[in-house]
Amino acid sequence: MLPPHRESRWAVETHGLTKRFGANTAVNGVELLVPRGSAFGYLGPNGAGKTTLIRLLLGLTRADAGTMSLLGYPVPRHRDAALARTGAIVDEPRFHGHLTGRQNLRLLAAAREPAARDRVGPVLERAGLAHRADDRVSTYSMGMRQRLGIAACLLGDPQLLILDEPMNGLDPAGIAEIRGMILSLVAEGRTVMLSSHLLDEVERTCDAVAIVDRGSIIRQGPISELLAGMPVALVVECSEPGRARALLAGTALGASIQATPTALGLEITLPGGTGRHVIAEISRILAAGEISVYRLQPVKTSLESWFLQVTSRLEDPE
Amino acid sequence: MTTVPAAGASTPGQPVQAAPARHSRDRRSSPIPTIGMIATRIMELRRRRGLMIAVVIVNIGLPALFLLIRLLLHAFAPRTNPPAGGQLIFLVLAAGFLPTFGFITAIMVGCTAGSRDLTEGMFRHLVVTGRSRLALYLARIPAGLAIVVPLLAIGYTIVCAVSVLAAPTFIDDSNVNIPPGLSRAGFENWAASHAEPVICSLPYNGHIPGNAACAGPPRWSKSAITPAQPAPANLEALAVKIASQDYRGYISTLRRPPISLMIKAGLWIELQVTVEFVLGLGLASLMGQRTGPVILLIVLQFILTPILSALVIPHLQDLQRSVVGLAMAHLEPSGLPVASALPGVTGGVGGPGAAQSLPESATQAVCVIIAWLAGWTILGAWRTMTRDA
Repeated sequence: MLPPHRESRWAVETHGLTKRFGANTAVNGVELLVPRGSAFGYLGPNGAGKTTLIRLLLGLTRADAGTMSLLGYPVPRHRDAALARTGAIVDEPRFHGHLTGRQNLRLLAAAREPAARDRVGPVLERAGLAHRADDRVSTYSMGMRQRLGIAACLLGDPQLLILDEPMNGLDPAGIAEIRGMILSLVAEGRTVMLSSHLLDEVERTCDAVAIVDRGSIIRQGPISELLAGMPVALVVECSEPGRARALLAGTALGASIQATPTALGLEITLPGGTGRHVIAEISRILAAGEISVYRLQPVKTSLESWFLQVTSRLEDPE
Repeated sequence: MTTVPAAGASTPGQPVQAAPARHSRDRRSSPIPTIGMIATRIMELRRRRGLMIAVVIVNIGLPALFLLIRLLLHAFAPRTNPPAGGQLIFLVLAAGFLPTFGFITAIMVGCTAGSRDLTEGMFRHLVVTGRSRLALYLARIPAGLAIVVPLLAIGYTIVCAVSVLAAPTFIDDSNVNIPPGLSRAGFENWAASHAEPVICSLPYNGHIPGNAACAGPPRWSKSAITPAQPAPANLEALAVKIASQDYRGYISTLRRPPISLMIKAGLWIELQVTVEFVLGLGLASLMGQRTGPVILLIVLQFILTPILSALVIPHLQDLQRSVVGLAMAHLEPSGLPVASALPGVTGGVGGPGAAQSLPESATQAVCVIIAWLAGWTILGAWRTMTRDA
């Protein structure tokens, strides 16, 4: 019998989690909070310790210090109860190549609760593998193995899915399908924790992210909040870029914005938190100076550019 | 890709509830593997085509082919080819071939079962199910044995059947129709009543008096019932003496294998492959690979064990006795060592004479075997429970 479930607003919660490999600290005092029912991105450069953290959470390796819980169950104490409602892909999904996709899932379902056996067919269908379910896995492409990995995750009807680079090896259509699946899983009330290098995909899929670098989390929170303080670029296509720049510099706005000439006009960098009224004011100044404006477009900072700014790797080429 | 919800899954928009009632039957922290786990492990091993072909060929195919050839040769040329069965053939196959090659297949299956989840990346998926790692390990034992033991049993049954049903009933070379299955007394009585052919045809290491001259070709053939020849008492006594001297040769060539020996030998061979499978499983789980453990176990059984059994090292005899191959040799049924002395027959993993050079009681041998089984199971399970997945 599983221990009673503890209600917690966090699907994943870690405090001071640490893992060392000799002198190298792969996970360094990580404090991670993943809200339930969300799609959560876990981002970091190569070697930042993303996969190691996931392996710790799943009990694949042991922590040197710290505490963690999955779905409110302390791990590793109630690891079996926590993993009963958790599905995960770690690293590249690998299976017995001599077995078919269906047989591999039967093998995994047998290690889960009895009801998991009945889910083999439906999860293959959901992962888009029904037509190849009875082919040997050795004949599968990388993308098909990713799908089989996701199907394996769904066998336990999980509340929490931990997916390590689930879009590796997928073509654009496959990526779009996985994105749709993740969104549908979140819509069902499940929590998806996603580790990925594809920042654009994470931005499209996830509600919140954590950035990890050198084993430590350096930022975490909802994407909208994290990007809120970032500067906004304003692309201006106009008839006289030089005069437009001089006009703007001569106004009260000149001290707070930075205008850079481009081939078609100006790129104006507005400080974070700038309101829409500033853009309207720029438009008025240019119109008053009889400068023809062909395009005036604010471009928000992307997750990718924000990621590059906050990760220390950008500054330290080591 | 469709968005069909998984069976039992929550519907979109409804939060997934934690720990539903259906998980009450879920005892995944239990170290005892479920029937389903064992069944799927059997499936996983059975689907390894190359391994299965090798196991079937070695345990069933080669003995069956050997016996089939002997049956055909005897059927087409009975005068030049002896019958396919008999005790001698049984001993060759049951004490030499089957244990030796059964050993190799058992460690191959054991090492495969112990390492392939890890090397093929499946171990991680299994650990993430939350199932007890001990249960994951223990499920491999009945699964592997469910493959190794029955296949060997089939091969062994074929050997026994042919050995019994196609056992020779006479000696072709000397044209003496000696009935099979005689006891020592029965054989001597038969010799007394067939003194002349016995004296003239059976080998004898002694003096034959002049009044027992064997002139001309023997009048007996395998198709004729040899009539009892009245003979003087001294010739009868000589025939009995010859029969007594030749009885050992008679039982090894003419007699069909006794049922008790077949049962004991079968159980001994099955015990041997069970031990070897468990050793292979434990060592492969410990090392996380297949090739290394296979080589190590072959070296242990075919090189180190014969060396250790041949030498008597004064202060290390207890250590020598603790070698599992030697303990197995001590448990070898008493009828089988006859085959050990045959040219080209190794006679079990201990090698010829292993049991004689280092005396060991059956209890000690059983304790050694149990210790090896338990030790390697504990080591393999410990590594499975503690290794990074």
